[in-house]
Amino acid sequence: MSANILRQTAEQQFSHEIDELKKQDKHPIPENWQMSPHAVVTYLMGGQLGNGFVVSPKYIGNRRLMEIAVATLTTDRALLLYGLPGTAKSWVSEHITAAITGDSNLVVQGTAGTGEEAIRYGWNYARLLSEGPSLNAIVETPVMRAMKDGKIVRVEELTRIGSDVQDCLITILSEKMLPIPELNTQVQAVKGFNIIATANNRDKGVNDLSSALKRRFNTVILPVPESLNEEIDIVSQRVAGYSKAMNLPVEKPILEEINRIVTIFRELRNGVSNDGKTKLKSPSGTLSTAEAISVMNNGLSLAYHFGDGALTAEDLASGIIGAIVKDPVQDKLVMQEYMETVLKQRDGWKDIYRACRDII
Amino acid sequence: MSLHILGIRHHGPGSSHHVNEALKALQPDIILIEGPPEGETILKWVSHPDMQAPVAMLAYVPEQPQQAVFYPFADYSPEWNAIRFAQQKNIPVRLIDMPLAHQLAKAKDAEISDEEDAMPPQEMVTEIKRNPLAYLADIAGYDDAEEWWEQQFEMAKHPAGVFEAIAHSMTALREQLPASADQREEIREAFMRKAIRTAQREMYSTIVVICGAWHVPALLNMPAQKQDDALLKNLPKTKIETTWIPWTNSRLSYESGYGAGITSPGWYQHCWQTTDHQGIEWMTHTARVFRNHKIDISAAHIIEAVRLANSLAQIRNYAKPGLREFNEAAQTVMCMGDELLMRIVWKDLIVGDNMGKIPEGTPQVPVMNDFEKQIKSYRLKLTEDYKTITLDLRENNDLQKSILLHRLNTMDIPWGELKTVRGKGTFKEEWQLCWTPALHLSLIEKAPWGNTIEMACNQWVAHHAVNSQHLADITALLQKAIPAELQEGIYALMKKMDALAASSNDTIELIDAIIPLAQISRYGNVRKTDLDTIEFILSAIFYRMIVGLPLSTTGIDEEQAQMLTGKINDLQTAILLLNNEEYKSAWLETIFKIARHAHAAAMVKGYAYKILYDTNYIETEQIALAFSKALSVNQDPNDAVNWLEGFLKDAGHLLILDDAIWSIVYEWIAQLEAGAFQELLPLLRRTFATFKSVEKIKLAEKVKHGKSHALKTAPAAEIDLQRAAKVIPIIEKLLHL
Repeated sequence: MSANILRQTAEQQFSHEIDELKKQDKHPIPENWQMSPHAVVTYLMGGQLGNGFVVSPKYIGNRRLMEIAVATLTTDRALLLYGLPGTAKSWVSEHITAAITGDSNLVVQGTAGTGEEAIRYGWNYARLLSEGPSLNAIVETPVMRAMKDGKIVRVEELTRIGSDVQDCLITILSEKMLPIPELNTQVQAVKGFNIIATANNRDKGVNDLSSALKRRFNTVILPVPESLNEEIDIVSQRVAGYSKAMNLPVEKPILEEINRIVTIFRELRNGVSNDGKTKLKSPSGTLSTAEAISVMNNGLSLAYHFGDGALTAEDLASGIIGAIVKDPVQDKLVMQEYMETVLKQRDGWKDIYRACRDII
Repeated sequence: MSLHILGIRHHGPGSSHHVNEALKALQPDIILIEGPPEGETILKWVSHPDMQAPVAMLAYVPEQPQQAVFYPFADYSPEWNAIRFAQQKNIPVRLIDMPLAHQLAKAKDAEISDEEDAMPPQEMVTEIKRNPLAYLADIAGYDDAEEWWEQQFEMAKHPAGVFEAIAHSMTALREQLPASADQREEIREAFMRKAIRTAQREMYSTIVVICGAWHVPALLNMPAQKQDDALLKNLPKTKIETTWIPWTNSRLSYESGYGAGITSPGWYQHCWQTTDHQGIEWMTHTARVFRNHKIDISAAHIIEAVRLANSLAQIRNYAKPGLREFNEAAQTVMCMGDELLMRIVWKDLIVGDNMGKIPEGTPQVPVMNDFEKQIKSYRLKLTEDYKTITLDLRENNDLQKSILLHRLNTMDIPWGELKTVRGKGTFKEEWQLCWTPALHLSLIEKAPWGNTIEMACNQWVAHHAVNSQHLADITALLQKAIPAELQEGIYALMKKMDALAASSNDTIELIDAIIPLAQISRYGNVRKTDLDTIEFILSAIFYRMIVGLPLSTTGIDEEQAQMLTGKINDLQTAILLLNNEEYKSAWLETIFKIARHAHAAAMVKGYAYKILYDTNYIETEQIALAFSKALSVNQDPNDAVNWLEGFLKDAGHLLILDDAIWSIVYEWIAQLEAGAFQELLPLLRRTFATFKSVEKIKLAEKVKHGKSHALKTAPAAEIDLQRAAKVIPIIEKLLHL
């Protein structure tokens, strides 16, 4: 493993945890898994093992969701992780795969251009021409390899793939085999094979799954962070990482600003003020945690390059408005209402109210 | 002689199964049940063939029906089954809890109408649920005490020894926890022990006691009788009456007032009726409910959901899946992970829609008593022929009658119909009364809402407020609730109104909501404390409306514009009524914005200028300018006429008195071409026809004189104080000063 690799895979980064979990595992292990479903959930949620070894949490949120996800993989249905952009879907799928098979590299990235040959198999044309159709001339896809080895293959952004291509998965999922009609043969999946797909439910212009395919998936919806503190933690962690990477010195403690941004985003997203007293309309955008992070980062850059280095409400206002007002008519109303009924009334928030008012 | 104490969880179907088996094995000759002794007299109804659970035993203080306790029973309540068992075997049943005569008397003395004091059944559950069991569950590694109990006892496959295990664990728990300082708790247990001693003295050979698990240790280790007697001395007492009333599944659940504290009666019912451990029947039932809601679910879904639920149970180390696992499996497999679909079926599936039945001849409910008391004191007669009464609301007695009738109407008991009164004054009301037996029934149906008409009506309004999804419904209900003087109901309506207003995009709805609010706020129909809430909500809705109003005046047709102009007119009156400078300036600012808005409907714009003119918000010159612009040659004649209609709505005097405006109108009409004039004539007529005939005559006279020469309004003449002073005595005389 070279030190200057930009990003290590999950199983590389947490190899010591996986090893330890395997050693301590006392529960029955399904065939071709490297640890029991119990241990997988512990790996995801973190916790202390019998010998005092501490496993770090990979997913911060509801344990039950992870239990459902792992339990699904023990049945013969595939798992579909669904949710807004920025809710850690791919992150979760990578870690589940790493924990179950120790190999998270079998990935198909779904795009509008993903063809059947990326899911079933392709041909090595040189071989095909010289030898004619044979197993040797077949180029395996991650899906085929996973079926042969009894591993888990990940399909990213399933709904971006065209419907006709998506439907190749039906036979694979229901009959657990991949026919190769050209050779009059098929690849039969080994125990342990399964698929984890991710898809986001906000995008427009995607290809909805056919009901036949839908039925082969169990769906787990990953929600936005549940509590304010949880979200503040995530944002401050990521913002600290950013300002370090970009060499932006931060003058004053920015936790308070993070708190305000996260509060504004949460209130609008949830459609109710934090004290629960005022109901609000929600804008059309998603306002995910990832967007809160980018507003903060943007504000920091503005403050550093164009301001005096100290983060002010003005630096943040344009980012806030930009994230919230995606539809110039409806969202603007939502924002104005929010400003008048909530921001204006809140003690110590006048600066942000004024800064937003100047822009909108 | 043997004594068996069976610790149960109230309303637990598993407990019920265990109790039934234990009773069959033990064959007791007396059963003692934790419950109010006053209810013993009406236990005979339990086995009546027409009796159908869920029902509730209602105990109340006759003079003060608000002091009441509901004891709900479902088919799967262990107590209910024990009573039925005893009646089948013809052995005595006794209810051995602290008599309500003492409990309610105490509450009355201390003047505590605290919910907890008034409602022991709920308290029993919360008591168990709160500290002690949460503590045990916590030790066992469950985050929810309810779930722990379910896994540990309710769903245990080997019922033998369950009661012993319960007794042991509770004893251990009670020993470990610091002794509770709750005296009432001790008194209750002393009463139970006393009843056990009595039964023992009467030489019953096999005594079975059924009580909440928490009490078991206290009944097993009997202290000296003296000690108990000391506790039970000199307790205050009051009179108690009991009756049965029908109950529903939704009232058993948490969702409404007097819940039994069980969240999922539908699931319990299922557990009670079947022995389906894997959940195949439950999942099939779930699928059918989904299908009833037009959501397609195949048999394959059921298979997968059952599998997932069982895998989940395995991961969580449970012997078999519980409701939570089934729900999660259903959501994941059947609903594409979407919680929304689960919520749609929640009520049908988890809560269920059972409603109990009470045999004829059971004693009467308190709300009926309250009603009869009220009509007796107001000397109203229940007759089936129509009778008209006129009420003078300045008289207290008449006012009370009116309030009663309004309240009944609010609860959909249309005894009286409000007629429009002839003559002036708002203090008079005319009602046409007609009582039918059906109304009797519908009043009894309201019994669970509360024990007096007022309470029931408040609850009823609050319930509808919570369930209503349309601002218009809330506004309608609010208008009913105001004359019915329902403080709590109004408060609930306010809250919901606020919630709905936030999500509403319909400015008209918001305007409709503001008008009654402004009336309450101004005339203070409600208590002082409530005024703050109203003020708060009024301001929230007001500012929301202000933001949305300019946009809603664009892109609308003539009919809508006319309607909106009417609404703005009402609003203008309401806002002037409020007499709040802040609202007024925000309002006029918005009106000004509308007036200058390029795309606003012409009629609304015209009316906006009228308001600005009336309130002197802008200079008369500016008005004149706007007028000329709106009526200028290049303007679409249709728009011009609409604008004029908006401006001159009910304002003939303006034309007569204001020369500047007169000249503009005059000139505009004069320069119209013959064809255009003919086209516009009917439209113009629409405006001018609404003027009063006096105004029309004056206008006609003015037309004869032709164009006025003064283009500017004459400056107000100096007031001649001496001349003015001469009039004052006459005015004083007129006003009786």
